[in-house]
Amino acid sequence: MINFIEISKKFKTDFWSKSFYALNGVAFKVSEGEITGFLGANGAGKTTLIKILMGFIFATSGSIEFDEKLGKNRREIFSKIGLLPERPYFYPYLTGREFVYYLGSLNDVKKSDLEERLIYWSKRMGIVDALDRKLKTYSKGMLQRLGLITTIIHEPKLVILDEPLSGLDPIGRKELKDAIVEINKKGSTVFFSSHIVPDVEEICKNVVFLEKGKLLYNGPIDDIIEKNVKPSYIIKYFNGTEVVRVEVQNKDKEKLIQDLLVDSNNKILTVEKFKVSLEEIFYKIRT
Amino acid sequence: MLTKLLIICRYTFVEIYKSKVLINVFLVGLALLLICYVAYSFTYAVPERIALDVGLGMLSLSSVGLAIFFGVGLISKEIENRTIYMILSRPISRRIFFLGRILGMIGILILNISILSTLTILTYVVLGGVLNKLIFIAIIFSIIESIIILLIAVLFSLITNITLSTIYTIVIFISGHALTDTLTNRFATSNVFFNSLLKTGSYIFPNLSKLNLKDYVLYNQMLPIPTLAWMFSYGVLYSIFLIVIIVVIFDRKNLD
Ligand SMILES: Nc1ncnc2c1ncn2[C@@H]1O[C@H](COP(=O)(O)OP(=O)(O)O)[C@@H](O)[C@H]1O
Ligand SMILES: [Mg+2]
Repeated sequence: MINFIEISKKFKTDFWSKSFYALNGVAFKVSEGEITGFLGANGAGKTTLIKILMGFIFATSGSIEFDEKLGKNRREIFSKIGLLPERPYFYPYLTGREFVYYLGSLNDVKKSDLEERLIYWSKRMGIVDALDRKLKTYSKGMLQRLGLITTIIHEPKLVILDEPLSGLDPIGRKELKDAIVEINKKGSTVFFSSHIVPDVEEICKNVVFLEKGKLLYNGPIDDIIEKNVKPSYIIKYFNGTEVVRVEVQNKDKEKLIQDLLVDSNNKILTVEKFKVSLEEIFYKIRT
Repeated sequence: MLTKLLIICRYTFVEIYKSKVLINVFLVGLALLLICYVAYSFTYAVPERIALDVGLGMLSLSSVGLAIFFGVGLISKEIENRTIYMILSRPISRRIFFLGRILGMIGILILNISILSTLTILTYVVLGGVLNKLIFIAIIFSIIESIIILLIAVLFSLITNITLSTIYTIVIFISGHALTDTLTNRFATSNVFFNSLLKTGSYIFPNLSKLNLKDYVLYNQMLPIPTLAWMFSYGVLYSIFLIVIIVVIFDRKNLD
């Protein structure tokens, strides 16, 4: 869907300071039809890469290729893209409905389609009652939901979300994640950035991991977890007085269980494969 | 493309309109009436001429004021607030976005000038003035002047911050009016260096005094049509020149 070719971006904070690379030879592909998580700590360069992708700023070197399916020229390609920028700002004096109509009309969406989709999504996101209120009365969570609606109102093939979950409460995050999954199921490729590993782990198939402007990992989440799974098991049992937790290698597992079962005081509670979270893995890769 | 230009233009107009800019118009209008009343009651001057003098002066100043005030933020605030991202991520080019914003703002300037000139002309007529064509031409020239100032404010806002843009635009406005005076000033022209500096300056800076017809209006001097046509073309060409420069800069600008 998108091919980033060796993107580098040099920044100079002010006239006298030394310039530094916010992105350094970043190269990867976003595959079609999936949700790709774009992970990285604050300041890793995620927003910078998205701005380059959208042509808001220009790369120092490197280039970006869009899939031919998106179109030949900028206008065709951009009519199939939906972007929710980081910390988006909304015109305070417009109502929710006016705002969606404004942006939707820039995408040549028919008025009747706009209406229909707005009703569906605003009901889905629980903001249908607020649509005719001015945006200055919206809470942060409501704005983020409305922002997501404007992003997908033209049913784009490629949806790019920059930290869509930041600043939301747990319920808000859950709802937005569900919405993102639904958008993907309806046929859009989703590329979304986040600095929170569990969020990405929860809904993404692929992950791109950026650290200080460099690409550290790019590929399926399952692969990286599988590679880092320790071949061991955690066995929990009750020995009559207390709960005991032991970690055993795969080959010793059967024997330990048999030994435990010899003593009738022992009750085996759980046998679980040892799992490492994506977070721990990234922590490991980094150091 | 045209429909999108108009959509952006319309929302820009509404946005500025809703920021209660017309209070400015209302206050200026009130001041105008007050001054005319004072002039009418307490001086021996010709009241209708005062109405015209003050009215034309105020409508020009107030729309130049609006042009500077909104011009410096017209594009730069959109960048700062990141609203521009929500628009440029759609099939809208930077040019169309810029032209739409400018046209919307020009709409506000025209609205402002229309209201104030209606008020001025009404007062003038009520006080016994006789209408002539030049009054209307002077009003149109005021619109062009404020468009030039608007474009200059936008241009500066793309290369520096809002405060400096405001200051620079005001400096250009003032020097644009002083240019002709200085060019005819004996002291300035007697010095070769000064003279060539001024000459060069007069080609780059907008010569706004060309667009100021107030003196001719007040003394009821009609100007020959070719002169007016030349002044008009000067204003239009200068605006196009500014638009081209802005587009070139804006197309290459990093929006962050
Ligand atoms: N316009 C800019 N000028 C200078 N430095 C910048 C600019 N924009 C971003 N940076 C720097 O580039 C780095 C990456 O920033 P960003 O892409 O916003 O990170 P992220 O979105 O991953 O949190 C940061 O160190 C940030 O300070
Ligand atoms: Mg960011």
